[in-house]
Amino acid sequence: MGLSDYLSNLWDFTMYKYDAVDKAIVSDRVEQFRGQVSRHLAGDLSAADLAPLRLRNGLYMQIHAHMLRVSIPYGLVSSEQMRALAQVSRQYDKGYGHFTTRQNIQFNWPELADVPDILKDLSNVEMHAIQTSGNCIRNISSDQYAGVATDEIIDPRPYCEIIRQWSTLHPEFYWLPRKFKIAVTGATEDRAAVKFHDIGLEVVHNDSNQVGFRVYVGGGLGRTPVIGKVIKEFLPREDILSYCEAILRVYNLHGRRDNKYKARIKILVNAMGIDDFRDEVDAEWQHFKDGELKLHDIDFETMQAFFPKPAYEQLASGDDRVNKWRSLDSRFKAWYDNNTVDHVEPGYRIVNVSLKEHGVAPGDATDEQMDAIADIAEKYSFGEIRVTHEQNLVLADIREQDLLEVWKELDQVRLATPNIGSVNDMICCPGLDFCSLANASSISVAKQINEKFDDFEELYDIGEVKLKMSGCMNACGHHHVGHIGILGVDKKGEEWYQLTVGGDASNEAALGTHLGKAIAKDKVGDAIGDILEVYKDLRSDDERLLDTFRRVGIDPFKEKVYAEEA
Amino acid sequence: MSTTKTIANRAIKARAKATPDRIQNDIVSAKAIVDQEIVNNAIHHVAETEELSLADLPVGDISVPMNLWLDHKSELQARDGLVAVQIAADEFPEDFVEQYAEISHIVLPMVAHIDGRSYSHAYKLRTRFNFKGEIRAIGDVKYDQLSFLTRSGCNAFELPEGENLDVALNAFSEMSDVYQPSADGAPLIFSRRRTVH
Repeated sequence: MGLSDYLSNLWDFTMYKYDAVDKAIVSDRVEQFRGQVSRHLAGDLSAADLAPLRLRNGLYMQIHAHMLRVSIPYGLVSSEQMRALAQVSRQYDKGYGHFTTRQNIQFNWPELADVPDILKDLSNVEMHAIQTSGNCIRNISSDQYAGVATDEIIDPRPYCEIIRQWSTLHPEFYWLPRKFKIAVTGATEDRAAVKFHDIGLEVVHNDSNQVGFRVYVGGGLGRTPVIGKVIKEFLPREDILSYCEAILRVYNLHGRRDNKYKARIKILVNAMGIDDFRDEVDAEWQHFKDGELKLHDIDFETMQAFFPKPAYEQLASGDDRVNKWRSLDSRFKAWYDNNTVDHVEPGYRIVNVSLKEHGVAPGDATDEQMDAIADIAEKYSFGEIRVTHEQNLVLADIREQDLLEVWKELDQVRLATPNIGSVNDMICCPGLDFCSLANASSISVAKQINEKFDDFEELYDIGEVKLKMSGCMNACGHHHVGHIGILGVDKKGEEWYQLTVGGDASNEAALGTHLGKAIAKDKVGDAIGDILEVYKDLRSDDERLLDTFRRVGIDPFKEKVYAEEA
Repeated sequence: MSTTKTIANRAIKARAKATPDRIQNDIVSAKAIVDQEIVNNAIHHVAETEELSLADLPVGDISVPMNLWLDHKSELQARDGLVAVQIAADEFPEDFVEQYAEISHIVLPMVAHIDGRSYSHAYKLRTRFNFKGEIRAIGDVKYDQLSFLTRSGCNAFELPEGENLDVALNAFSEMSDVYQPSADGAPLIFSRRRTVH
């Protein structure tokens, strides 16, 4: 294959494309796992010894069956890959997949013996499940609007991919005290919640216009929610891998291993204090910072070439036909207003595809929906889809003139629910219905809330409310940072729910404030209703719920919700 | 930059002994894998106790806890046979830098294979303290750990009784490529690509 063929193949894509090394690693890994499974099935590898190995290939044992979590690096997936995911769900599962808060996808019903074949099929489209679970470095997550956001300063995707490759099968950091999550953002508004990750990276310029990172460490949710602390105000980009390695080595050696609930890096950082932790990392870093891990400008340029600006047309902003339909069709208008976002390029918009259809578990998509979105992306959006940490999908590059068609095609497969950012756009873990850790169900409560707030006019009046729900204190639904957070708890065998108000995962990172004692399952919807009533009564101008809460505090909400008992 | 206060050189002032992170019973294996070949093994790995003394040691090739080495180095050096020295998961290779010139074999006992600290120990021994002798992982070390332990700097392994060593040798050839350097001196993937693109 000549160079020009090579390049044209490359530039078919708007995302990273494997070379021979990537292919060899992923394909060897599939065969390695096939070997592990067959040794297990032959009785030569115990279930206990298989467990951490299968976890590092994304395979959990849940209540009813195995669950396979497939990696979607920083949420980017091509139409071809989406079709492969749809095919996996049809062939090996029950015809649906669940998109997660870390921009991955989970299949709830695979057979252990099939998993090597599933991974083989996925490797054919350059996908894998490596390190999607286990106490190791997990999928790198990022801004779902990378490359197209109006507030983007620097495209985070090349940095995500560089870190992904370095962290994949890193021999020294495969058995960490606990899981380790890295997120990268390059925009003014933090859509990747970097302050709630083990390492959070903000790509920034310094005063001399060098590119580098503001580095946060020790953030996280879970049982002990902590906002990440700045460990490095400016780290030159060429040092990113060595600096991450220094953090990881200090954590690997000093993180607690005696208690899994105190094993995350946030506990170590808090115990040492950020200044001592920083000193320890810096001392470690000095040993190798200018060695093999140092990156060169050409490395960034090469990687950036995998994320080229798509072949945009020169278009004017606004489209007469779309504007006319907005005034004629209230459903289209609602979708346009709620689910589409300004694009950096004139004549284009970002389209959010809601996976929060009424009556469906948040984040779930059927094989038919996955195929449809693959087709729509191919037809209208350069064949690329993004997964958001709020469990929706994004078509990043839609021409305004195509919006009406895109809406109709999405609507045909029930993917046009106009509820992005509303109370109905909940983040929600699988809960007691699937997860062996959960204390309480989340999906049924999500349905209860959906049913209570089925009037879109009311939803739009309420505006942006990030409602996040977890079925247990492990906080997979990120309840601590919901504008309204819901945590399922077990009280003597019954499911109860604790509410918080005022959490925020974005730039003004904050943990929610407890409302009061836990609420019975059938009253959760009413309590949410009460909170929103208080908000509507007290809001001024265009305040969001979060803004009103910051101004008035928790008391008015508490009084209303618990009024009947008083 | 200030030097580290809390952790480094926590050192020798209060040397912990026989912690739960150390092997609790002596380990003796019939075979070992050394430099990817199966060999007969003669090393008796002595577990640490609070009262462990020279009188407790068996004859022949042994490995001893670092604490015993530090307390009785000259007697141990005068013995017949190999004396290897153990560095436990909760010890720190940088605390023993001055010892390495006199040690030919370091043993990393792994109480639980999910405890990854020994990987960092091996990495530091090779890359930072330039240790050229044998680094042997023992304890809860099985087939599926061998390749990453090798990359991190170990070159010898003793597997628990019942593990098939012939099968375990496959571990060294399962992965044909890697992305990142470790103690194996592999190049970073991006430095390889610099010459391609």
